[in-house]
Amino acid sequence: MGHRIALVGNPNSGKTTLFNGLTGSNQSVGNWPGVTIEKKSGKLKHQNFEAEIVDLPGVYSLSTISLEEEVTTKYILSKSMDLIVNIVDASNLERNLFLTHQLLDSSIPMIIALNCMDIAKAKFQDLNIPKLESLLGVPVVPITASKKHGLVDLIRVIEIANYEPRIPQKRYSEAIEKTILQFQSIVNDRFLATRFFEDGINVDKYSEHDELTKLTLQNALELAKKDYTLDFDMVLPDERYNLILTICNAVLTRNSVEIESSTDKIDKLLTHRILGLPLFLGIMFTVFYLSFGPIGTFITDGFVWLIEGFFSIIIGGIESVGMAPWVSSLVINGIFGGLAAVLGFLPQLTILFLFLSILEDSGYMARAAFIMDRVLRRFGLSGKSFIPMLIGFGCSVPAMAATRTLDKSEDRKITTMIIPFISCGAKAPIYGIIAGAIFASHSYLVVFSMYIIGIMVAIMSAILFKKTILKGASANYLMELPEYRMPTAKNTFLHTWERVKGFLIKAGTILLGAFIVIWFLSYFGFVDGTFRLLSYEEIEYSFLGLIGKALLPIFSPIGFSDWQATVAILTGFVAKESVVGTLGILYGVAGDVLESGTLLYPALQAAFTPLQAYSFMIFALLTTPCIAAIAAMKKELGSWKWLIFALVYELVVAYVAALLVYQLGSLGIGTLLTVLVFIVVIIIVFSTIRRIIKSKGSTCGSCTGCGIEGSCDIKSKRK
Amino acid sequence: MTLSELKPGESGRIIHVYSNNLRKRIIDMGLTNGTVIKVKKLAPLGDPMEILVRGYFLTLRKAEARTIEIERIGVDL
Repeated sequence: MGHRIALVGNPNSGKTTLFNGLTGSNQSVGNWPGVTIEKKSGKLKHQNFEAEIVDLPGVYSLSTISLEEEVTTKYILSKSMDLIVNIVDASNLERNLFLTHQLLDSSIPMIIALNCMDIAKAKFQDLNIPKLESLLGVPVVPITASKKHGLVDLIRVIEIANYEPRIPQKRYSEAIEKTILQFQSIVNDRFLATRFFEDGINVDKYSEHDELTKLTLQNALELAKKDYTLDFDMVLPDERYNLILTICNAVLTRNSVEIESSTDKIDKLLTHRILGLPLFLGIMFTVFYLSFGPIGTFITDGFVWLIEGFFSIIIGGIESVGMAPWVSSLVINGIFGGLAAVLGFLPQLTILFLFLSILEDSGYMARAAFIMDRVLRRFGLSGKSFIPMLIGFGCSVPAMAATRTLDKSEDRKITTMIIPFISCGAKAPIYGIIAGAIFASHSYLVVFSMYIIGIMVAIMSAILFKKTILKGASANYLMELPEYRMPTAKNTFLHTWERVKGFLIKAGTILLGAFIVIWFLSYFGFVDGTFRLLSYEEIEYSFLGLIGKALLPIFSPIGFSDWQATVAILTGFVAKESVVGTLGILYGVAGDVLESGTLLYPALQAAFTPLQAYSFMIFALLTTPCIAAIAAMKKELGSWKWLIFALVYELVVAYVAALLVYQLGSLGIGTLLTVLVFIVVIIIVFSTIRRIIKSKGSTCGSCTGCGIEGSCDIKSKRK
Repeated sequence: MTLSELKPGESGRIIHVYSNNLRKRIIDMGLTNGTVIKVKKLAPLGDPMEILVRGYFLTLRKAEARTIEIERIGVDL
């Protein structure tokens, strides 16, 4: 039985890189705080040595405020590991040692992996490691995880480490040691005593004490408070930082002249007061233009041509062999028809994922949050919400998982619930094909309007939630800006591949299953009392046709004139990618889609008027997300109640919006005008909501919405 | 005066952190009494602000900066 070793460190200190280096696995690594949102474990194997490595979410301190940080603190307090490897970013020694200092209060054996030595060497003249080791009292191993330097040394130190409990040193002033001793006499543990000291009685949710102990502790806390002039919750952190400063001064030789770092230089441009915002918009536009614009389309066309060629060879083979008619129908219409539509979309997603990876790895995402915070705050969100929302343009599933980096549960809930409105990558082909068929030369504008409407509905929903069911002060924002790093090709590739892989697995499992089910429902049915395989002409009699017809009365007010459209929307519930695939199957051009995607155009042009097409797209944009996203949503929202609320809300919003478009449009004012009217209506609704909020939201005069009660008091006092 | 009143390029020493909902985190990230901080810049839209503290870059909103009482100092970090 090997040892269990936990990796603990600040966010963005390189834990996940080290984890991958030690275990040989490929977890995704980013350059913004909070990439690891759950604990993950892997195996370290080195010659005869074997151990389990647990990668914990990064924390700045053991006093946690966000959910993902709580995972770490809980795990450490449970003492279920044999050794802690504390990763310390040497280039940011002072702040990183704060967590180290807190961990040293525990009796868990510990080793320090001093990471980012390459950056530290450039930043400081000298870093005296033996001295650091003797001052901290635990082994210190210098490494550069990103370049795999020092990993073998680290493994060797882990191998021969002392796995007996450490005896924490008494390092604090007499008064503090006295207080710790008081708490320790109640809870019997120095580590827990220091946690009570810093965090108060709240820490007790991690341990199991009876009411009497809690009461005794509470009294001891109140009594101890009288001993200090400094605010009680600042006493221990203040002492820690003073001790850390002494350590830093002893081990670091700083450069006499401060050299301007490359991060400084890059930020002079990218977060520039005037140029910062246009550059940000330009970068975002470029990413989406390259992914979904001419270049992305060009690559997609080439890729689709390849797939189609491949599929047509197989289909030719199947037809010449002469299988049972239902088998060839299953393969040609069900499986290939659907897969061709979905896989054709892979190149665009890959390009989008590639750019998102580069933005993440370089450290720009954190700047994006910094730049966008002022905007998102107006809607009660934090700049940090921007990262999940941006990922939402790719796929809702990772976007929802990323909401866990937000500090408050209200913000997590709101962000999770509005992400489905952000038009995910899987919805792009719906607009692409329908707009391409119906709006031809205007298709770009139409697709763009989808994205804009999605964003606006998301924003309005956020405001609505914030002011009604999820009341609470404006979201918090406090974020470190990491140093820029050149994204490595390997990392970028891994990152992109991980996401593409997720998509491919989905295509091969959920989607494939969905296509087979849809095929069965659409090619089988009862004709004149006999159950059999139907030909395309008889598809009306299929099960799917029956379901579509039954639901048509509900959908006809929003402009769905035939059951095919209804069914296609229904299959979007399984996966948005299958909407287009289903349209292909239902309009009977599945086989032909293989030759050219545009062959679906005539069927679509016959089925949709421009107005109906627009209404269809609006509904597809705003309705409930796919099953995979719903599963992710359930996980983040935490309860069925919230999940059902979110799903019903999305359905209602989608229906009302499509109804508005179709009914307004039917008044005969032309499509383009309808789009305009629709946008104007949205703006009116939006500004009305804002006005209502403004008239109500009188928190404290001039700083409305700052959400920090008491901050105004200080300001007015100063006046 | 408070941190929010410092202009980019100016430095100050923390006197007190008033209560706000991020106080604990602000302290743990190294903004304890007596710490010297330098304002690097404001975001393009004027808020949040970027500060240099204990050798790293931290961004925070002016709302929180208003709860951090400081004295202006002339030295450069």
